[in-house]
Amino acid sequence: MTVLLDVRALSVNIANKVLLSTINVQLQHGDYLCVLGPNGAGKSTLLKALMGIINSNSGEIILNKTSLSSLSQKKRARKISYVPQAYGHQLDFSVLDFIKMARYAHHSVFSDWSRDDQNALEHALSITNTEDFIHRQMTTLSGGESQRVMIAAAVCQQAPLLLLDEPTSFLDPHHQVEVHHLIQTLNQQHGISIIEVSHDLNHATQHSKHILALKHGKVLWNGPSSDLLQSEHLKELYDQQFVFTTHPQTGATIALPSETSLGNKS
Amino acid sequence: MKPIKTLLLIAIAALLALLVSPYLGLAVDNPEVQHQIVTQLRIPRVLFAFIAGAGLALCGMVFQAMFHNPLATPFTLGVASGASLGAAIYVYLGLSFTLLGFDGGTFAAFIGALVAISCVYGISRHQSGFSPETLLLTGVAISFFFSSLILLTQYLSNLSDSFQILRWLMGSLTTVAYRDILQLLPFVALCTATILWLQRELNLLTAGDDIALSRGVPVQRIRYILFFVTSLCVGAIVALCGPIGFVGMMVPHICRLLIGNDHRWLAPASLFFGGAFLILCDTLSRLIIAPAEIPVGVITTLLGGPFFLWLLVKSRSKGT
Repeated sequence: MTVLLDVRALSVNIANKVLLSTINVQLQHGDYLCVLGPNGAGKSTLLKALMGIINSNSGEIILNKTSLSSLSQKKRARKISYVPQAYGHQLDFSVLDFIKMARYAHHSVFSDWSRDDQNALEHALSITNTEDFIHRQMTTLSGGESQRVMIAAAVCQQAPLLLLDEPTSFLDPHHQVEVHHLIQTLNQQHGISIIEVSHDLNHATQHSKHILALKHGKVLWNGPSSDLLQSEHLKELYDQQFVFTTHPQTGATIALPSETSLGNKS
Repeated sequence: MKPIKTLLLIAIAALLALLVSPYLGLAVDNPEVQHQIVTQLRIPRVLFAFIAGAGLALCGMVFQAMFHNPLATPFTLGVASGASLGAAIYVYLGLSFTLLGFDGGTFAAFIGALVAISCVYGISRHQSGFSPETLLLTGVAISFFFSSLILLTQYLSNLSDSFQILRWLMGSLTTVAYRDILQLLPFVALCTATILWLQRELNLLTAGDDIALSRGVPVQRIRYILFFVTSLCVGAIVALCGPIGFVGMMVPHICRLLIGNDHRWLAPASLFFGGAFLILCDTLSRLIIAPAEIPVGVITTLLGGPFFLWLLVKSRSKGT
């Protein structure tokens, strides 16, 4: 496997507050990285810095051997796509219009909707199973539908790296599984590399390939997903003891928050 | 209704307004005098109203898209006040120059508009990101600030300058001539062309800065380009006919309700609707208490407000 993304000593400060401090992380082609960490650890900031939504103060982001700072935003968008936190329901667009807008990075001022665009659109719709509601307004979608449309738009952008910010945080269990399954499909069958910010520890350890654990804007732990549960750092990551059991169907190790908190452990 | 049909209807309405308005309220019977009034006074006035209305509506549409808020327009954010101050200072200092054939007042207003938008944008963006609330409040504050500076300028001026500033602050198309059309048209045309050029970017900006950036829009650069051309456009309009309020808020919002958020349709719809709307308001302003005239700025506000509320209520009861 070759390196797709190489983040070197990335730091982000906003209004004199350190949000990310010298982050180093690598991502291989076809990898699926979950970013874990307590609230305010800098997880979303990392995704936004990668996407160019916020500027980094120092450090370098290298994608396919090209430094992102040398690329225009349009060229960056051909390489990275992004699904923000629950957002879709605020958008006053039809689903079709919204997804089609994701082809912006492949267009110039005078270019028409091309065969490539149509293929990308149909491909994105079929993978995400969103064909049935392309004529509805974004504002009328349920949380699960909306999230699938947001992912469809990102897929339509045809970037090799997809960033997802808590894609399942506001969904019920059924739709969580549905979206997790969709992300797995994108990663395994369509070769899209994924970085997903999540609060779901068990989802991360079972489904992603690697985990990056952030705390206070610093890397606390980085390694293969299955190793995190054995790591001493798990307790430190969330300031929380965990107990372990096995999934009755898959036999995978499941972490559950311990009933005794850290403060009064025996 | 399909967007193309809606747009055609709006365009036809605008054409009707252009054709009919010059002949309304002709108080004299002599055909020769009538002809004189129509060709020398009415036609330039109606053309000017169309161009100014179109420009105001387009600038309002751009601000609403950039700031994701129907209340954010060049007028609510203090840009028009800045332009007014620039023009008032131009009058106060007794300046009279032309640049590239354009009246110096336009450039004074343009500089005022740019200063205002820089202040509003700079202050409200100071913290991480900017919220619509901060933006609007900053706009209101800047607006008040510039308005009091205009009052000061007026106070310091001699009586005739002071009257000139006051007349013009009311927003009126009474004294428009053919020459003024040539003073205005290039700026509105530049603004229109830029907006049509940037329609994809405007669509994505409507979806939010994060979405726009992640799709590849260089948001900051686009915003500066749009600030520049809308400031020129608002500056030219304000310098020539005074600050005519509310057109830029209501017309694009009504057009959004009629035709949707896609700027491919919304931009031309706002252009025609804005033009027609200002012609209508100006026609009313000279008919209601004829032979006297009401400042057109008063009419735009009185007419637009209830209509806007009606559409808002209607779309609410229809939606969800």
